[in-house]
Amino acid sequence: MIEVRGLRKCFGDVVAVDDVSFEARNGEVTALLGENGAGKTTTLRSIYGLIQPDAGEVRVDGVDGIAQPQSARRGLGVLSEARGLYPRLTAREHMRYFAHLQGLGRAETETRCEDLVELLGMGDFADRRAAGLSHGENTKVALARALLHDPANILLDEPTTGLDVMSTRAVRELIVQLRERGKCVVFSSHVMQEVAAVSDRIVVVSAGRVIASGTPAELRRSTGLDDLEDVFVALTGHSGARE
Amino acid sequence: MTNLVAALAVVLRKELVDGLRDRRSLISVLAPLALLPLLFYVAMDQASESVERARQIKIPVVGMEHARELIGWLDQQAGIEIEQGPDQPREAVRNGDVDFVLVIPEDFAERFAGSETAEVEIIVEGMDRGLDRSVSRVRDLIRGYGRAVADQRLIVRGISPEVARPVRVETLELATQQQRTARLIGFMPLLLVMGIFVGGLQVAIDSTAGERERGSLEPLLVIPAPRLSIIGGKWLAATAFSLASALLTAAMVGIGLEFSPLQRLGLRIELDGGVMALAVAVILPLAFSVTALQMVVATMARSYKEAQSYVSFLMLLPMLPLILTMDSEIEDAIWRLMVPVLGQQQLIQDAMGGEGVALVDFAVTALSTAAFAGICLWLTSHLFRRERIVFGR
Repeated sequence: MIEVRGLRKCFGDVVAVDDVSFEARNGEVTALLGENGAGKTTTLRSIYGLIQPDAGEVRVDGVDGIAQPQSARRGLGVLSEARGLYPRLTAREHMRYFAHLQGLGRAETETRCEDLVELLGMGDFADRRAAGLSHGENTKVALARALLHDPANILLDEPTTGLDVMSTRAVRELIVQLRERGKCVVFSSHVMQEVAAVSDRIVVVSAGRVIASGTPAELRRSTGLDDLEDVFVALTGHSGARE
Repeated sequence: MTNLVAALAVVLRKELVDGLRDRRSLISVLAPLALLPLLFYVAMDQASESVERARQIKIPVVGMEHARELIGWLDQQAGIEIEQGPDQPREAVRNGDVDFVLVIPEDFAERFAGSETAEVEIIVEGMDRGLDRSVSRVRDLIRGYGRAVADQRLIVRGISPEVARPVRVETLELATQQQRTARLIGFMPLLLVMGIFVGGLQVAIDSTAGERERGSLEPLLVIPAPRLSIIGGKWLAATAFSLASALLTAAMVGIGLEFSPLQRLGLRIELDGGVMALAVAVILPLAFSVTALQMVVATMARSYKEAQSYVSFLMLLPMLPLILTMDSEIEDAIWRLMVPVLGQQQLIQDAMGGEGVALVDFAVTALSTAAFAGICLWLTSHLFRRERIVFGR
């Protein structure tokens, strides 16, 4: 469960996030929908504590994410915007490194690694060095790295950007599986179809502000439009979200 | 606390493995090191050759017949051989057929007999090529001859030679054999400091600026592991590489000394294993602060490339005082002990001079070096909290 209230963050004169509030519940997928530069990444970074907001409140399972970022991070699994790997380590070594850093024991680490290799279909490349991995494989390793400690809350920043059809599908399936296991999943995207396909709740962000939020059905009702893409265009006032 | 240490160990292990797999960087450090003994040998060989050349001198003389007495006297001096000089002395020297020529003008005999000042010429071109020793030896010999003749003439006229010699200079060499040796291999600290700088550089950059540039810093910092563990692990990994590189450098210098023709220089190298070990032990703590400094500088850089050039430039800063004081002995001073690099240099000099190292001196140097490292690490961990640093804006 993640609660964000009145979040505000400026970079110099630019207001990146302005009074953003939303709630992401367990067992639900919450989408942050918005164009590039709308403030999605800044919002997510504020939740996992690498950005200190100028105002507002962040709670992760009730823990104050701004006052106690380390404690809040314990309950978070994060696929950040930056998802680079160490070119000289294998996929499995990445998982071990992050599992050990999360404080997992040896046996537990190996079990979790095996589970994730299977879940994400990484068998072919688990023991190859990251330097030779494709973009999709790279993303899978980054996802595995975020999920090792089986966190209750999962933040995914544009998880499907740049992925091919198969990899995109795998990521969507993963999101659905996580929801079925009762996790609180928050992901950001600028792709309407993707958001429509998997989310229970949509938070539409534009120019740093939340301009609408609710279930897909609620959003359709409030705008009187059937197609979610039309809803988005109507809400933001331009067609930037068409891909 | 256990959490802190456990996480640090995990980071340390990963960075060591990662660093060891970075073959290209390893080779770039190891290859020059492997060449070190060879360089050493060549340098020493050249030095000893020029010493030997000064000891065995052939003097080509033109106009021998005008100064039979002088030539006869020169010929009797140890290591001196007289030979007939070339007909065209200037051309011969210019063409490099002979290194120098002693020319005795026709009026030499006449002026000499008349108690006037008789001139001789030494023709030489460019006093480099290690020639200066030979030429100055010949010059000294002729001056010595001249002085002896002058003394005789004065005595004949009933004047004490001391009247004509109001001041006499005596040079007393006080340096012991070991100190002279220490001065000769005064670049040893320089090499070790270079070994320390070069060894840790790659890991220090790769684990800070490199980590951000390839986008792995953000995922790493999202993990609730203590920042201190992450930075500490990276730092110790860089330090391990730095120490290994310094030890290898010392070993290579040892091999170089073992096979160098130092005896021909008239220097018995008394650098037994103990002194070498002491010198190395004294300088090793420096690695801890050098890598910490490299990390803080690399963290501040905006890109990997920028970090590389900053950190390379960093190497010049401590080199400067080392190069400036390489040939001369520096005076012991407490402030110097407290400055990293300079302190170690002084301790090494003490160690190699055969005087031993005072425990207090070592403690002062080690403590100030540790404090310096601590400040750098604190700064780095502070920087890792800055959004501008983490996201590279």
